[in-house]
Amino acid sequence: MSDRRPALVLRVPSRTEFLAAIRDATRRMAAVAGFDDAQADQLALAVDEASTNVIEHAYRGAPGRTIEVRFQDGDGVLRVEVVDDGEPVDPRSVPQVDLQRYASERRTGGLGMHLMGRIMDSVTFRRAARRNVCCMVKKRPAAGSGAAP
Amino acid sequence: MTELSVDSRELEGIVLLYPRGFINAHTVRLFEGEIQKALDQGRYRIVVSGADLKYIASAGLGAIMGVVEEIRTNGGDIRMAELNETVRNIFDILGFNHLYRIFPSEVEAVLSFREGGGTGSPPA
Repeated sequence: MSDRRPALVLRVPSRTEFLAAIRDATRRMAAVAGFDDAQADQLALAVDEASTNVIEHAYRGAPGRTIEVRFQDGDGVLRVEVVDDGEPVDPRSVPQVDLQRYASERRTGGLGMHLMGRIMDSVTFRRAARRNVCCMVKKRPAAGSGAAP
Repeated sequence: MTELSVDSRELEGIVLLYPRGFINAHTVRLFEGEIQKALDQGRYRIVVSGADLKYIASAGLGAIMGVVEEIRTNGGDIRMAELNETVRNIFDILGFNHLYRIFPSEVEAVLSFREGGGTGSPPA
């Protein structure tokens, strides 16, 4: 039987000033879901990166748009969806991480997406109702267990 | 609460930077500015002492990546010290531990310049 329940929906302007609000909400939801401080910081980082991608790519820096972040704590996972109504974004267009190339060309494209993938258990993208939806899922730690990597 | 502050001091010709808070797309300009100040003064030996750095997003890693070639070309290096578990994990996840020397303590990072002089990336 599902224990899923709506938890929190946050809507903020597409400005980097509001990344702090997204981070704080993510840390709070992570704590409620049972993650420790270090894990909560990592989750906040993943959501920060996803939101930054929205600002920089889907909205191309336009400050008057809206980022919606939906949190759901249930079914043994914390699910975070970052939603925008900007231009369609094809995650396949993100370059593969190549540290040597980064070092020689001073490029960091794809690092944020790579971080998200390493921190979360799954990261998926879909286009629905003219919106981009980045869905990130992290399994909740088992009760009484320590921090997972 | 301020999202990021960056104090700095100089020791034996080495610039020590103390970021406190979060480095992300919003705060990265401040971090970049402090690194640039050192470079503008011809200081190419830099230690980022991260005891109070909560996390660093890809924007911050990009800032470091953007200057490392200039720093090493000028005979210096940018080294990390006292990173917390979260930040250290980020470096490890991305393989940055192969590009940058990371020390448990600030003292060790400073001494590494004395011992190795030292340009370049860490041993693989």
